[in-house]
Amino acid sequence: MAKVFIYPATSLILSDMVARFGHTPLSSATAIRERIQTAGLESPPLQITPEEPKKGLKWAAVEVPAGVRGRMSLYGPMIEAAEAAIIINDADFAFGCMGCARTNELIKFLVHQKDMPKLELNYPKNEEEGVKFVAAIKRFLTGLGAPK
Amino acid sequence: MTDYTPTHVGSVTKYVMVESFEITPADLAARGYEISKGVMIKETCFGLVLNGKEEEVDRIVTELRKIDPGHIFVKDRGFPPGDARRCRANLGGARPGYNGLEFEMSILPYVSHGLEVLNSKDEKSVPSPEDPLEHPLLDIHKLKKLIDAQES
Amino acid sequence: MTQPVRIAQLSCGPEYSGIQNEINEAAREVGGEIFFPDVALKDIRRDFEKFGLDVRSPDLKLAIARAMALVEGRVEADAVFIATCFRCAEAAIVRNELRRYINEHSKLPVVSYSFTERTTAGTLLTRMEALTTIAKRRALLARETQKGLTLGLDSGSATTKAVVMRDNKIIGTGWQPTTEVLKSANEVIAHALAEAGVTREEIQAVGTTGYGRFLVGKEINADLIQEELTVNSKGAVYLADRQHGPATVIDIGGMDNKAISVMDGIPGVFTMGGICAGASGRFLEMTAKRLGVEITELGPLSMKGMGARVPMNSYCIVFGTQSLVNALAAGSTREDVAAAACHSVAEQVYEQQLQEVDIKEPVIMVGGTSLIEGLVFAMGELLQTKIVVPPYSQYIGAVGSALLASGFIKDD
Repeated sequence: MAKVFIYPATSLILSDMVARFGHTPLSSATAIRERIQTAGLESPPLQITPEEPKKGLKWAAVEVPAGVRGRMSLYGPMIEAAEAAIIINDADFAFGCMGCARTNELIKFLVHQKDMPKLELNYPKNEEEGVKFVAAIKRFLTGLGAPK
Repeated sequence: MTDYTPTHVGSVTKYVMVESFEITPADLAARGYEISKGVMIKETCFGLVLNGKEEEVDRIVTELRKIDPGHIFVKDRGFPPGDARRCRANLGGARPGYNGLEFEMSILPYVSHGLEVLNSKDEKSVPSPEDPLEHPLLDIHKLKKLIDAQES
Repeated sequence: MTQPVRIAQLSCGPEYSGIQNEINEAAREVGGEIFFPDVALKDIRRDFEKFGLDVRSPDLKLAIARAMALVEGRVEADAVFIATCFRCAEAAIVRNELRRYINEHSKLPVVSYSFTERTTAGTLLTRMEALTTIAKRRALLARETQKGLTLGLDSGSATTKAVVMRDNKIIGTGWQPTTEVLKSANEVIAHALAEAGVTREEIQAVGTTGYGRFLVGKEINADLIQEELTVNSKGAVYLADRQHGPATVIDIGGMDNKAISVMDGIPGVFTMGGICAGASGRFLEMTAKRLGVEITELGPLSMKGMGARVPMNSYCIVFGTQSLVNALAAGSTREDVAAAACHSVAEQVYEQQLQEVDIKEPVIMVGGTSLIEGLVFAMGELLQTKIVVPPYSQYIGAVGSALLASGFIKDD
């Protein structure tokens, strides 16, 4: 079972595909869950405290906006833990955790930099593309190793 | 800043969404309740929210998927069900993630179709989708032909 | 309990910078409630395209759609708070354009802010208070004449000021540097009362503003405790006799600067800055000290000089002062140095703050620094307009407080 980073990290479709074909999706939800379930200082809604942008300095310098660094504190460790990645390139309407274009550029760059199996896609726009889309993901995930 | 004491520690929450004309969230919920065994099940307009121990939640997810594998989709959620921090009633509007989900819901029919076709077809026989990173340039010979056609 | 003021938040980043709770807290403290206008994906697609600003960040697209929902009345709100990350160029463009769009197409008061992870509820409080005041106390702010016998006190970070007013006239004033907040307040009040020839008991209503407003307001049992953005706007248009139509109020203070775009005496868009001391009255104080003159002499001195003759390549209060010292050592005249210091402050306020409000004439400068002619001159040069400095401009907060406090006089 491989840990597969998904982009957009909020994607229902990718999260479902990765789990369906026997691997573990690394998504925004799992990163947020970790914070929501950890004791500390209260910082609703996401339990991201002003400390998180400081942790984000590992991936982005201090002149980079706080929102980018805060988000990187979620995604940086996930990219480091990832063993594979699926990237949807035309994800223009992924809000919230994926709502910052500058962060998203950095995430994609770091994923591309890392030596691991990657699959690049666009969202399917019709049924025919839907078949190719699912088939490509299935082939990719099957190739990562034996499902559970 | 005050101290934060988390609830639901060690549990997982998952959305089970249904994209189908044939089954409803109520159908899913009915099946879910039969096998819930301590997992909290909440019915929503788009499907269910499950909360409990990971193995238990996964067991129910596996069972629920069997009802209609091509039309049931599952995703993790960071917050436990009904959490005030993400609740539409408290925020005045949907959390931003909802609009993203709304977008993917419009894609789901194509994915469902893909899943159904691949039930009876080997994925290896399906051609790859276009690589979004490749931007093929216009072939030089084709360009020449186009210019010639214009000039003649 | 009164209904909370509904403040619509248009933003990108606060949840991920760890400061969303600070925003909520600041709003709650002044009777406001933050909410997120509800829009559907189809609204976002349509409105983003209609607005025509082709940004990449999805959350900025969402902010645009939410702004349009507010302006078009699909979602109701009392006020708007726009917040984006400090140092994000894309977000800064959106923040400015949304602020302008809302101001031009609706009556909603707007405040915009660029935050860092260090932003706290305390920093946001004055802005939020101004927002809720404008939204809910329009009747109070509509007052154009002072009635009865009232006292206004402005407990500022650098100076404390008091005025006593009777029947629309200033009859007593008091001014001194702020040392101990309460002590300074009591002394300026005593001075103003003595000059007016009245006793504390005769005063019919009291208003306080400025940093120390809560502490002093509680101590002297004020009828009105109000932040300085709305109070100074009121005071400025009242003293300048420009109570109707548009105006721009600039107040370069000891700790932070205010730039307020006013319509009929009520702030529409405002910014409050204070990241760098080099753009504050403090810098001019330091310059005066270095030149060996009283702050009151800095203005006339600078009017005799030419700022452009002095090389100043830093806005920083430390390095800026260093440039001045170097210039003096290299033979620059004190007049030129004084003029350069005034120009530096004016230019920094112009570049960093005045871009966030729409400058509409008349431009009224208030606060203690408006008495420094060189600064007013430099600002006028930059804005290409004749700046209005009303009488008693250094007492602006105290006058605004005394004016508004007369709304609290009980009719016997």
